Amino acid sequence: MPAPEADLRAGLIALLPRLRRFARALCGNTHDADDLVQVAVERALTHAAQLRPDSQLAGWTFGILRNAWIDEQRARGRRTRLFAAAESGENVADPAHPPPSELLAVQAALARLPDEQRLAVALVLIEGLSYKEAAHIMQVPIGTLTSRLARGRETLKELLA
Amino acid sequence: MQAMTFDDQTLMAYADGELDEAARAAVTAAMAADPQLAQRVAEHRELRRRLQAAFEPVLAEPPPARLLASARAAGVPGRVIPLKPRAVPRWSWPQWAAIAASLVIGVLSGALLLRPGTGAGPILARNGQMLAGGVLASALTNQLSGTQPPNAAVQIGVSFRTRDGIYCRTFVLQAAAALAGIACRERGSWQLQVLAQSEPGRSARGAYRPAASNLPPAVARTLDALIAGEPLDAAAEAAARTGNWSR
Repeated sequence: MPAPEADLRAGLIALLPRLRRFARALCGNTHDADDLVQVAVERALTHAAQLRPDSQLAGWTFGILRNAWIDEQRARGRRTRLFAAAESGENVADPAHPPPSELLAVQAALARLPDEQRLAVALVLIEGLSYKEAAHIMQVPIGTLTSRLARGRETLKELLA
Repeated sequence: MQAMTFDDQTLMAYADGELDEAARAAVTAAMAADPQLAQRVAEHRELRRRLQAAFEPVLAEPPPARLLASARAAGVPGRVIPLKPRAVPRWSWPQWAAIAASLVIGVLSGALLLRPGTGAGPILARNGQMLAGGVLASALTNQLSGTQPPNAAVQIGVSFRTRDGIYCRTFVLQAAAALAGIACRERGSWQLQVLAQSEPGRSARGAYRPAASNLPPAVARTLDALIAGEPLDAAAEAAARTGNWSR
């Protein structure tokens, strides 16, 4: 099955800019975001057999990235509880590509949202997915998605005012 | 007529284009009669526009080489053996070389053919530096990433140049253990910059087997640290081979 595998790899490469944007909305800093994208890409390739022919590669891969992020958040929570580690290097910027100040402001506001609200905002407002697609990726009913989205929006409006 | 009231979630769904036709028409009509309602919808739209605009530049960034390499060769992350510290403030190079060499020998013993002096094994130690030998050196010198057979013992990932113009290549070596690393062409030999052990790709009931193991995070980070610009495209890679990978 070399052809589907090559298609998948090409599809993932084409999707990298959007995966990076989604991860950046979740993580804030570029390095962590790219680590997350890398994990998602590797998992997508490892679990290629689970991709149904009728499912959208973008939605499927976003779901993998979301799950990887939640795993990472949990692991980080455990580490923080165990070691109370200061997050050194949390906001390491790439000196060659300083992010625009507007992006930094928006990222700082996003970082203050609870994880589930940030996820809803990232999928619907930044990635432009429908409520149905976003709810599917988050594995929640649409009503749950919309209430998280509404609360996240409300907070962002105040923070960015 | 009493103005209709809508809760915020309905207005939000309106701004997001998620209402059905009837509800949409009702909100549109109410907005025409109620500037405050129109203002609330405008605020929802403005927030959406602002978030999208803020993240727009991310889409234009070229993806880092390590992500491209991952998409081309993936599997399971493994243990890491730093051969050459990238930014290690406290330890001097000879200490690192000794530790790295002992780690490598520990990891490779039995699993890989490390035969100092014979030149037949894929990894050689010479003067405290790890070099590619045997099939690895041959693949690094001869194989092009676009045309390599999927079952080759060595899979080349990407080829690139450092800021100094030195050619380097990422590889995965399939032996008893799968090893991923980066080798750079210096003084006529391939010097290993980083090497990490990784598990071979799991075959999910034979349905899918990656052609090569993945690029473990330490290798990926070394790649990002070394690379200047973009990885070589097929033509540049072929030209570099023709020039025997010399600067």
